[in-house]
Amino acid sequence: MSFFVGAILFTALVGILDAKLPWPKPRTGVK
Amino acid sequence: MAEAAHGGEVAVVTGHFGFAAGVKSVERTVPLWALMLAAVWLDVLFVPLYLLKVETIVNAPGTDGGYGDGIIHADYTHSLVGALVIAALTGLLCMRWWGRRAGVVIGAVVFSHWVLDLIVHRTDMPLLPGNLGDLPRLGFGLWRYHAVTAVVEALLVLVGAALYWRAARQTGGSAKRVNLVAGLIVACGALTLALDVAGL
Repeated sequence: MSFFVGAILFTALVGILDAKLPWPKPRTGVK
Repeated sequence: MAEAAHGGEVAVVTGHFGFAAGVKSVERTVPLWALMLAAVWLDVLFVPLYLLKVETIVNAPGTDGGYGDGIIHADYTHSLVGALVIAALTGLLCMRWWGRRAGVVIGAVVFSHWVLDLIVHRTDMPLLPGNLGDLPRLGFGLWRYHAVTAVVEALLVLVGAALYWRAARQTGGSAKRVNLVAGLIVACGALTLALDVAGL
């Protein structure tokens, strides 16, 4: 269970909240 | 690594997420969610193979198969060559979305999982997929020392969260949100590690 809890919490919850911060955007290579 | 046949947790989970948080502090253009997912990508791929019984987990001799007490036959996803191939393919895929550097970073984080697992596994990680050639298996076996492994995992999360917090503060974003995310990294890490150690 800890694997799935961790994956959801870190990838979704933490990841989505972090995405609201103004980090520099990646430079896309191939279009 | 995912859950064992008896339903208990056997492996490092939290430490991988802490490492990903630390990478974000250096590679700031790569989305954190992608780094988090990359850090456990080998385990994500392990899950369907485990359900299909292609890859298996058995209890280490003399143990109940709890935290750190599994012999893991993830002979495809966690073989050295298998992990390198998965990392390369994942990195190439991400290059299409986020550019060359981000792809390389994602690929490296995917492979970092194998390196961190190598430290803890009990000599069960093959060199070639399917343990082709029956070559010697690898693993330094830190799992024999449960408390030490748990402390290392906790330190990875704390250091990762601290590095993340320092970098995130420099983005000019809301201090409240920065504190929230860094705090969540620690809180989620504590919860995941507690569940892991409890064998849940």
